[in-house]
Amino acid sequence: MVGYIIQRFIAMLLTLVAVSVVAFAIIQLPPGDYLTSYIAALSSTGDQVDPRVIENLRIQYGLGEPFYVQYWKWITGILQGNFGHSFEWKRPVSELIWGRLGNSVMLEGLAVIVMWLIAVPIGIYAAVRKYSLGDYLATVVGFIGLAVPNFFFALIVMYLAFIWFGTTLGGLFSPEFENARWSLARIWDFLTHAWIPVLVLATAGTAELIRILRANLLDELKKPYVTTARAKGLTEFRTIMKYPVRLALNPLISTIGWLLPALVSGSVIVSVVMNLPTAGPMLLRSLTTQDMYLAGAIILLLSVLTVVGTLISDILLAWIDPRIRYGGK
Amino acid sequence: MKHSSFGLSRGQGGLRLAGAVAVAALMAAGQALAAGQAPMLDALVESGELPPLEERLPVNPMVVEADAIGTYGGTWRMGMNGGGDNGLIVKTVAYDSLVRYDHEWKSVVPNLAESWEASEDATEYTFKLREGVKWSDGTPFTTADIAFAVEMYQDPDYAAGSWIDNKNNPVTLEVIDDYNFKFIFGTPNGMFMETLAGVDGIHITSLQKQYCSQFHPTYNENAAAEAEAAGFSSWALYLQDRCAWGWETIRFANPDLPSIYAWVIETPLTANAQRVTWKRNPYYWKTDAEGNQLPYIDALDMRVSQGGVEELTLAALNGEIDFQERHIATTTNKPLFFDGQEASGYHLGEVIPSASNTLVLQLNLNHLDPVKRELYQNKDFRIGISHAIDRQEIIDVVFTGQGEPFQVAPRPESNFYDEELAKQYTEFDPDLAAEHFAAAGLTEKNGDGIYLASDGNPVKITVDVISALRPEWIDMLEIMQLQLGAAGVEIELNNIDRTLFYEKRPAGEFDAQVWAGDGGIEALQEPRYYFPFSDESVWAYRWAQWFNGTRPEIAEEPADWAKKQMDLYNQVRAAGSPEARADLFNQVLAITKEEFPVIGVSLMPNSYSIIRDNLKNAPATMFNAWLFPTPASMDPTVWYFE
Repeated sequence: MVGYIIQRFIAMLLTLVAVSVVAFAIIQLPPGDYLTSYIAALSSTGDQVDPRVIENLRIQYGLGEPFYVQYWKWITGILQGNFGHSFEWKRPVSELIWGRLGNSVMLEGLAVIVMWLIAVPIGIYAAVRKYSLGDYLATVVGFIGLAVPNFFFALIVMYLAFIWFGTTLGGLFSPEFENARWSLARIWDFLTHAWIPVLVLATAGTAELIRILRANLLDELKKPYVTTARAKGLTEFRTIMKYPVRLALNPLISTIGWLLPALVSGSVIVSVVMNLPTAGPMLLRSLTTQDMYLAGAIILLLSVLTVVGTLISDILLAWIDPRIRYGGK
Repeated sequence: MKHSSFGLSRGQGGLRLAGAVAVAALMAAGQALAAGQAPMLDALVESGELPPLEERLPVNPMVVEADAIGTYGGTWRMGMNGGGDNGLIVKTVAYDSLVRYDHEWKSVVPNLAESWEASEDATEYTFKLREGVKWSDGTPFTTADIAFAVEMYQDPDYAAGSWIDNKNNPVTLEVIDDYNFKFIFGTPNGMFMETLAGVDGIHITSLQKQYCSQFHPTYNENAAAEAEAAGFSSWALYLQDRCAWGWETIRFANPDLPSIYAWVIETPLTANAQRVTWKRNPYYWKTDAEGNQLPYIDALDMRVSQGGVEELTLAALNGEIDFQERHIATTTNKPLFFDGQEASGYHLGEVIPSASNTLVLQLNLNHLDPVKRELYQNKDFRIGISHAIDRQEIIDVVFTGQGEPFQVAPRPESNFYDEELAKQYTEFDPDLAAEHFAAAGLTEKNGDGIYLASDGNPVKITVDVISALRPEWIDMLEIMQLQLGAAGVEIELNNIDRTLFYEKRPAGEFDAQVWAGDGGIEALQEPRYYFPFSDESVWAYRWAQWFNGTRPEIAEEPADWAKKQMDLYNQVRAAGSPEARADLFNQVLAITKEEFPVIGVSLMPNSYSIIRDNLKNAPATMFNAWLFPTPASMDPTVWYFE
């Protein structure tokens, strides 16, 4: 088990190095740099900046240097905890992103939990009572959830809340708690605001999970060991929960690593629509203004989360499934 | 109380704003009445934290007249679209400079400067500042601050660009005493007062010497070390962070930066701000007609969205916005807002856009491909395209019938309105279009019914557009694509990002770009479509470089007619009197009419503002413009809640 974890860990580190190069290359890909997008924004309001001033800024920002020099400066800075400066906000990147990443992880973590809480029981029910009314209902609702884009669902919820209750949904906190320190009152305020985006974010994933779990479980239920268990006189509940469900969860656990990045990228539009201060809108804006160190830091951290998530799911799989644990031998 | 009716009347020149000038600007000199101040300031004065009102107000405060004398208090709620929306702040708070425009955007009136004089040849402008005006921290505002701003803007290490460091006509400053100074230009600058009264004027009053000089090595030998200690790689970056120019976003992230605005920052605009709030400036230097210190409204509350306006739209519908036009007043939202008026306690005001046209199709007259250049420069080709567009169909489908067929020309509200210029070639007539195409040498068509150019290739125009800026552009262009396709010209839509849109311009290989018709009212200051004036004259980018000399390496000598226009416009700049400028500019427009350089679609329809019913003195009608920043130019300092 330890050897397996060490092996996975080394693989993770190598992946991270590769990811950092790709992340940096991606943010350099679009034509121009922060200053060209800055000039574009200025000139659209009829403003012009002297080319000498721009040349000066380019030197001050170190934008004219070759790719490998910029990358080396960036990556060595990060190893010392310095993610560089945001051009747009003239602040260290590390000052800007933690709060938002925290909101993202919190919101999307809750969404994952809600997703599992809804999807696992429904998925099991749908498989065990195949082609029952409940199964069809779960299928229909599931497909609707899968087909309706999250942001559109968010818009509908917001509109209905306005029409029926006269309230404006949006944001994660009430104005008085926006800049307050964490306290019980603030957590309660967060929960009263967060449940709607959490539900919205969870819908599509829930539907997908129900389908996967149902299909896996159906495969398992037909296997001889289930019949054996029944023949030995185990209760129906124990028969199903102890063996087939445990195996059917395998694919769910192996995708934990992808959940977080999928939720972050999927939540960009929902965050914009519902006005949630998560990492998504900041990533979007930093990409459009070509604020490269800010964008690079967010992309890198998301990649780190993905890779760490994959490591966690690898370990969990090894833990619940002895075949993987002993597979190396 | 004098009543300033701000009604609309249809005069000879079309729709025209009429009404009494609401700002009685030139006050008889004399001691201020110092009648009243906000109750929240009374306590501060009593406790000694703040000097009494008489000491805070200037000798001769600026008096702002309004429909009614108001009462103090309240918070004006509005919304910003994302963190980069410094435009809302500029247009709401930051428009205070030496001079300003009256509400009709017609004449220049005093502001921080109580009077001025221009020399005959328009090279020397002498100003007299109001005596005793103070920055928001209580420091006197004097010519030293003006001199410091000029020095900073002209320092190449300070990243800002404006008329102050315009290398084509640099300004030099001559300080006479604490309150009197002169701007001296190398060549005549007849439109200087208009520049100064518009949004560009705020550059010169944006930097306080006492605060900002501490970041510059000339004034503080430790500036570089202090910058490093604060985490900046150079003093210049630290200076730009603490004292950003004019309306740069980062400027509003520093609550310590003193200003001369009516409200000062309480919650700054940072990358993670969900709200930017402002509180009254206790040293504000304006009063109402009875001598009460302005502003009436205590605080501003700007909610910051994450880059979308959906929540803001709902908030406005729900009566949670007190006054706003920006972002939410779209054509599609109008029925929604109209229906919600009674239930949510707001009403709609009228907003007249400054832009003339919903869409300007700019063919690249300086195309590097000689065949395309020759074709695009052919006036008959452009007339043919114009006649092949069924504008009424576009207006009906995209704008629910609002607007009228229009070329790129001064709006009916403008002094320069010319019906012929606005309406020529706007009728939909495929036969006439075919005649003009034939006159442009297009006769042969290929199997798809598309004309063949002189090199045998089909005539295909790739149109660059940024749909993120105005979603209706795509709808309009898709209709035009069908209409022009039927007439024998293929249109390809190229929806691109803003940066690429700008990067393509100097390269000279784009076919056409699309933008809105800026310069509908401010034609004189923003003539980008009337002749090759600036980088925004995309249709003749290389000719514009020849005119303003910013990129000499790609400049091309313009056609004779364009050179004539440039010559005339230089005379406009040099002319001392408004009448002479108008006369010369009309000659520029006459050439525009003759040459027909760009193609317009329809008159930009009027927009609307959301006004809460209990907000008084707010304008029922106003312009929407950048050079004339609304609503700040409509004196929100005298708005109040009932």
